Amino acid sequence: MTKWLVCEIEHCSAYMDQSKRRRGRREGDGRKSYRPSLRKERSKRLSLCLVGMLPVLVVHGGAGQIPKERVEMASAGVRAAARAGYAVLQGGRSSMDAVVEAVTNLENNPSFNAGYGSVLNVKGEVEMDAIVMDGRTLASGAVSAVRNIANPIQLARLVMEQTSHLCLTAGGAGQFARAMGMPEVPGDSLITEYARMRWKKNLAPNANPVESQMGKMGTVGAVAVDEDGNIACATSTGGMLNKMEGRVGDTACIGCGGYADNRAGAVSPTGHGEAIMKVTLARLILFHMAQGMSPEEASDLGLATMKERVEGLGGVVTVDPQGRWAARFTSTQMAWAAAQGGTLHFGVFSGEDVTQDIGDPS
Amino acid sequence: MKAVLVVHGGAWAIPDELAEASVKGVKAAASEGYRVLGTGGSALDAVEKAVRAMEDNPVFDAGHGAVLNADGEVELDAIIMDGQTLGSGAVSCVQNIANPVSLARAVMEKTDHVMLTSRGANLFAERIGFKTAPTETLVTAYERREWEKAKEYGAGVKELFHSQLCHDTVGAVAVDSCGNVACATSTGGIRNKMVGRVGDSPVIGAGGYADNRSGAVSCTGHGESILKVTLARLIIFHIEQGKEVEDAVALSLRYMDERVHSGGGAIAVSPSGQWAATFTTERMAWAAAEQGTLWYGLNPQERVQDKPVQ
Repeated sequence: MTKWLVCEIEHCSAYMDQSKRRRGRREGDGRKSYRPSLRKERSKRLSLCLVGMLPVLVVHGGAGQIPKERVEMASAGVRAAARAGYAVLQGGRSSMDAVVEAVTNLENNPSFNAGYGSVLNVKGEVEMDAIVMDGRTLASGAVSAVRNIANPIQLARLVMEQTSHLCLTAGGAGQFARAMGMPEVPGDSLITEYARMRWKKNLAPNANPVESQMGKMGTVGAVAVDEDGNIACATSTGGMLNKMEGRVGDTACIGCGGYADNRAGAVSPTGHGEAIMKVTLARLILFHMAQGMSPEEASDLGLATMKERVEGLGGVVTVDPQGRWAARFTSTQMAWAAAQGGTLHFGVFSGEDVTQDIGDPS
Repeated sequence: MKAVLVVHGGAWAIPDELAEASVKGVKAAASEGYRVLGTGGSALDAVEKAVRAMEDNPVFDAGHGAVLNADGEVELDAIIMDGQTLGSGAVSCVQNIANPVSLARAVMEKTDHVMLTSRGANLFAERIGFKTAPTETLVTAYERREWEKAKEYGAGVKELFHSQLCHDTVGAVAVDSCGNVACATSTGGIRNKMVGRVGDSPVIGAGGYADNRSGAVSCTGHGESILKVTLARLIIFHIEQGKEVEDAVALSLRYMDERVHSGGGAIAVSPSGQWAATFTTERMAWAAAEQGTLWYGLNPQERVQDKPVQ
């Protein structure tokens, strides 16, 4: 699934200046003491020239078992979000701008469990978690159990940029949103008929919300590397179906629901939140990548660890600094799309990787 | 197998007037926790007991003695983790609870979730009949005075609390005679924090992590920096890679300093009973109990042997 091209230096001198610039910047911020073996490996890779690898953006619309009648909607949704995020990158803007754009797009799409279309908690209300992380500085912003906000991902970014904190929760996050002038929306305006129907179904005494969770986990997320080699991730969710009031899942927790580091890559996970937390899935995958594993190998190993240790299923989208990417999952399905070098890759089922021209509107 | 318990009372520039009480507090907490291990209790029971002792002690910024947020309210964070199952429970931004670590344990044992926040955490506490405490009983006169002072100086103190003040999170790690490890961390956060601010303490992998295959860690220091490097998980990662416990902690604290320019501290224990209490801040009150001996320290390189513990 991971597609990458390298060629010898002499064939692409035009790209060399760029990679030299990137290498200089990385060494400039003092990574001397950290894993010297990796550094050697990295400079070996940088002595090759990467063609068409950057920028890159990968999105997911949640891991789970997507009902047949909703597969096409989910696939169209992630493709549209990937196009929107990739256009930001092509316009020369940062990976942070791109992941926030892609996730905003998914939050606004009622097919996904984030923003409009979020699942309901046990009381029939929407409470959302979101996180962003900037791999250049390790800066991050998150909100948990926030209400009455159409785009929690944008609020998470404001926490990162406008406060000295990293995570704001519940009423405090709402207070901050008002202080920032973010429009408050009625709770009902975030609720779809589908979400209400599923909530009711799971109120029945014999219902098993954890089980039917697999019907639509639908957390959304994006990872990207821009032309300057800066990496970012963003994840947003309405959480778990019929969750307790105040439940915070993996999404709002750094290292669990997302992590980005210019030295290693970025990951945005989806799946059973509590399981993801117990193995700090995003951070785990990046530890493996920092030791030289490819995004695909590291993602598979992280997901296998989660299955083995806590019987958790899920999926991830992953990128590394060179622009190699992966979209992997242990659940039955995960809607994902990746944009790189003018090509859009996408899939829903295991092993599926369809490609089309990024300009193709279908 | 040897049982070990280590506690910390926060890594920061502890002023002289709090030094003696802090050391006394960690020694008492370590003794209490160790007694649990001595009578066949689990690592989980022991870390909960030790952290409760420090939450009840007004000298520490956790439970009774917690700092006040920008609105003059107390909002508490806590986590507990069981290395045997990777089960974990946490509460963030909870109010009117004297022992958040025990509420965190209830989240782990009585719900399908790992973390409950704010009002939801309080509703859960109410539902299970958890004892509540009026805010005023959690606030000390010392804290009220310091908070007023901080208000007066306004933005001027902003820099201060990054490097100096209010980092006295408390925490404990333990390994029991069965080789099970556990960790617990509890805090009132940083003075004048925004309403709803969640620090590192309740976030799994940041404020704490425990895994029987590698060890248990509890962290303290500038919360936002600890979060950025997921300090507890990073230390565990180095132990997984074969590093000695002490080296793993030192290496990770150095990395945090290099990447996000912040000091901090951590305590760690491995399933075989190796332990460390290390910090890069000016001081950290810590104590460790193993094989009937109590060790403690406050200043860098300080490691004093105390009278035997039972």
